[in-house]
Amino acid sequence: MDIVYNGEWTWAASLGRLLIALAFAGGLAATIGYTKAVKSEAGEWLALGRWGFRVQAAGILGTSALLYLLIFCHRYEFEYIWKHLNDAMSPGLVLASFWGGQEGGFLLWMTWMFVLAFVFLKRNPGTLESPVMAIHSGILTGITSMLLGLWFGDFQFGLDPFLMLREAPQNAGLPWTFNPDYLTLIPEFADGQGLNPLLQNYWMVIHPPTLFLGFASTLMPFALAVSGLWTQDHRTWMNRAIPWAFFGVAILGAGILMGGAWAYEALSFGGFWAWDPVENSSLVPWLVLVAGAHLLLINQAKPSTAVTATYLMIGLGFLLVVYSTFLTKSGILGDTSVHSFVDSGILPQLLGFLLACCALLSIMMLAPGRDRVFFGALQAALAVGIAVLDPALCSLGLLVVMLLAVLRGHLRHLPRTDQESPLWTREFWMFVGGMLIFSAAVHISFQTSLPVLNHFLAPFSGLFESLYQSTGSSLARKLAAHDLAPGTDFDATYHAIQVPLAFLFISITAFTQFLRYRKNSGRGWAMKLLRSLLVAGVLTLIFTLTYGFAAWEAPRVALMFACLWSAAANADYIVQGLKGRWDHAGASIAHIGFALVIFGSVLSNAKKDIISQNRFGDLAMLNESLSNTEDLLLLEGDTIAMGPYYVRYRERRQEGIHAKFAVDYFETSPADYRKGQVVANEGFLFQANSDHSAAPAFTADLEKGLWTFIPIPNERQRNEAQPWSAGKPGEFAFTLEPRIQLNEQMGNAPEPDTKRFWNKDLYTHIKWGRVSDPDADENGWMEGRKHDLMRRDSLVIGRSILALDSISAVTLEEKPAYGLLDKDLAVAAHFRLTGNGPDTNFTALYIVRDTLLIPDMVTLEDRGVKVRIDGFRPGEATFETVIWENLSIRRDFIVMQAAVFPQINLLWLGCLIMTGGALMAVRQRRKTQRRGPSKQAAA
Amino acid sequence: MSRLNIVVILMVAVLLGTLFSVFTANSESVVFARAFSEPGMEFKISGTLDADFPVVYDPLLDVAETRFHMRDKDGQLQEVLLRKAKPTGLEQSESIDLYGKVVDGEFIATDMLMKCPSKYNEESHSLAEAKTEAG
Repeated sequence: MDIVYNGEWTWAASLGRLLIALAFAGGLAATIGYTKAVKSEAGEWLALGRWGFRVQAAGILGTSALLYLLIFCHRYEFEYIWKHLNDAMSPGLVLASFWGGQEGGFLLWMTWMFVLAFVFLKRNPGTLESPVMAIHSGILTGITSMLLGLWFGDFQFGLDPFLMLREAPQNAGLPWTFNPDYLTLIPEFADGQGLNPLLQNYWMVIHPPTLFLGFASTLMPFALAVSGLWTQDHRTWMNRAIPWAFFGVAILGAGILMGGAWAYEALSFGGFWAWDPVENSSLVPWLVLVAGAHLLLINQAKPSTAVTATYLMIGLGFLLVVYSTFLTKSGILGDTSVHSFVDSGILPQLLGFLLACCALLSIMMLAPGRDRVFFGALQAALAVGIAVLDPALCSLGLLVVMLLAVLRGHLRHLPRTDQESPLWTREFWMFVGGMLIFSAAVHISFQTSLPVLNHFLAPFSGLFESLYQSTGSSLARKLAAHDLAPGTDFDATYHAIQVPLAFLFISITAFTQFLRYRKNSGRGWAMKLLRSLLVAGVLTLIFTLTYGFAAWEAPRVALMFACLWSAAANADYIVQGLKGRWDHAGASIAHIGFALVIFGSVLSNAKKDIISQNRFGDLAMLNESLSNTEDLLLLEGDTIAMGPYYVRYRERRQEGIHAKFAVDYFETSPADYRKGQVVANEGFLFQANSDHSAAPAFTADLEKGLWTFIPIPNERQRNEAQPWSAGKPGEFAFTLEPRIQLNEQMGNAPEPDTKRFWNKDLYTHIKWGRVSDPDADENGWMEGRKHDLMRRDSLVIGRSILALDSISAVTLEEKPAYGLLDKDLAVAAHFRLTGNGPDTNFTALYIVRDTLLIPDMVTLEDRGVKVRIDGFRPGEATFETVIWENLSIRRDFIVMQAAVFPQINLLWLGCLIMTGGALMAVRQRRKTQRRGPSKQAAA
Repeated sequence: MSRLNIVVILMVAVLLGTLFSVFTANSESVVFARAFSEPGMEFKISGTLDADFPVVYDPLLDVAETRFHMRDKDGQLQEVLLRKAKPTGLEQSESIDLYGKVVDGEFIATDMLMKCPSKYNEESHSLAEAKTEAG
């Protein structure tokens, strides 16, 4: 008997599942119809394909619309909505809750794919319609299957976005799920959990849609490439694919950098790029797509050049997007990332989809007929092997077979040109640049994929172990252990390879535009580079001197030079080569943008200056161990020099889910000294000869005769002497409020606050801070702290200093005054409390009576201090002291880190320029393409 | 042999060289016993935080001194000193890589990496409380 649940939108779940099933069925029909239509003249198959596509599109768009309806109506009975939405979220974040989880991510991805497919169909696809749409529909059907939410025994096939909480596996069978009124009875359903607070940021609203549009835009070039192989027309698709590929370059590039901006702005990684697998796995497809897009350009100028490479790059652009989905959603990265990833339960399905896409490309690269059948059968057999035999071994075999298929296709089938390009041609250097970019991508991908490689190494563990036993090779031992992980030192793991590669391909972007296609570019072209080389040389010199680069940083400086050269040369090309025809300048502008992005990131990272080294506050100078730390301890109300500023921790307050720590910044102005004033500098005392303002360095003032050295200071001079300092807090400059996010789900997380200048950023975050007052008893006494104190030791208590002035044994005569018995053993500690009130002297006793310790608590109620001596070690003359502080005198404090990132704005500027330039190039390509067919028809 | 092929072959050669260097360069992690047998040598030790002992961090005494107990791969428990401010989320960490050496019978780490629950994933949501209330 079915229970009728009151108030539940059961119909929406049914409708949603129906829509997904419809989309899946429509997708299958479209795939079959379009596939048949490639070879068949009959219009029925094409009609089936088109109608299938419409049904599929309606299903997916309808699913998205329904999910949004449920989100806007706050239907918390649905698990997806309960997890990612709550009533407190702002309208922007309500929009973003759609893509808070994997199901919504898939939907968003597919929605963009449909939008792009509509654009493709609108633009007169001609004979390409059937093959491209067959691939497109097939891929989309595969992704739709990730939303089916079917269970075959324990095997999960897809995640159901319309799963109700009462149906969720973790709740199945619980008594409340049988209660028809559970929605009103259980308070948990009144509000959802909400997006993870770490994601509650405006970047969450714009970054995922941009990134997913970028991901979606890799599908169209892929579908075009496969249809090129299908129809054996290796030319038409390439021309068509150029604007699509560069559109992907523009949008995916912008999406990746938005992610960097988000990390920089809201997460305390301490920078915008952390070579994290999540970041890497979106960067790699972009790099490959950039290489592929340039290979398309080569082919347009000189047909049949590097055809295999072009197919591979364009194909891999999409395959790597799928691979990145697999990496980040399958949980396989678990062992190596800073983040841990949870297996969502559809790993086999994702793997199957990924391998199917790879197989499709590799088989299509072979000659039609026997080759395709043979390799197809081999791959199918290995796929079965993955499912029933040894997954690692068979996957490895499958990869090898795919590589062999590509190799055979290249050697036996795909067209090649006999005409070799001369050395100094544009296509040759574009090819070299493309290969270098691809190498960079392979390297990054390899590091990110080490955990996957470990799975492949596992079956050979014994083999490597015996190899190690016989040869003692440490490499064999590492391979046998199969727990490879990317190194944690970015310089060794990434920069050592990436910097030289970037130097090479950025240099290539500087001069290649000046070269001609097909013909050697004569002698004159090198002369055109002189201007930009000169400009870049001078600028590099200026930057090197300004920011003080050392000799060992030569590779970095070389890369910066290449970036400046590329920017200057491409700007010069717009003037010299294009004579200011801006509509053709898209490529040059994009190159300038890319060069600026790399320049900005290299400079801002290399010359990141942590200005918050620990210096002593005016009261905290008692800390003996001067440690070389990057963090600054700031007591509430103290004003301390930090880099070029004075900083003052003003207050802590709570706003929403944040504890904010207001830190005021003051300019540094020269300190003033009066005649006769005594200062200490490096252990020596000096007296001022006249009233003056301090120079930046003490020696300068000393040479000017402003100070007189005091060889033998008297008592008064010793007590009066203050440490010399060049500055004092000047005018108030600004306030920064780094914060700690109060996050019950994930633990409290610090969020930075940044002051932006045109040429640098001041970036600060809290390393340690209290989000609430510490625990105290009803009278305000906090937990006592133990200290070992010797004579002349002192401590900071609130705004006062507690000093142990002297120690004395209590004599027989004194004992009655302290209320002690004659037989008691007692040692007296004489304390002095100074600052924030009158100087107060008091004595605490350590008393032993017949081997029993008599506690002697001294309470200074009005000063908020309690002292008790719990032990005495005569050998070291040390008291084991417990000191209690009252909340009324407590000073809050934070540990803060502050860093200056120079010229980081060049990076963001470069991002805008690059995206703009790439989009300009897309527009120009579209224009020439529209003119293209008519020209071809005339010829 | 065309120039394009030469470029491709060179690229493959350089890539293989760099990938090979990855295997030889990646630092491997050891256990405490090894680090204590060679005092003064830099090591990387992987393990987990032992939550039975408190993490001691008192910025008023020293901003850059964090003490905690870590269990290495062999299960050996060891108190360690980290010369840094207490890293955010240390208590929530799932695993720890420590970089440091043994000085005067104490393991002193100068750097540390943690693996923490990802911001990209939600925990499993279960209505445990609801169970009891409606049950």
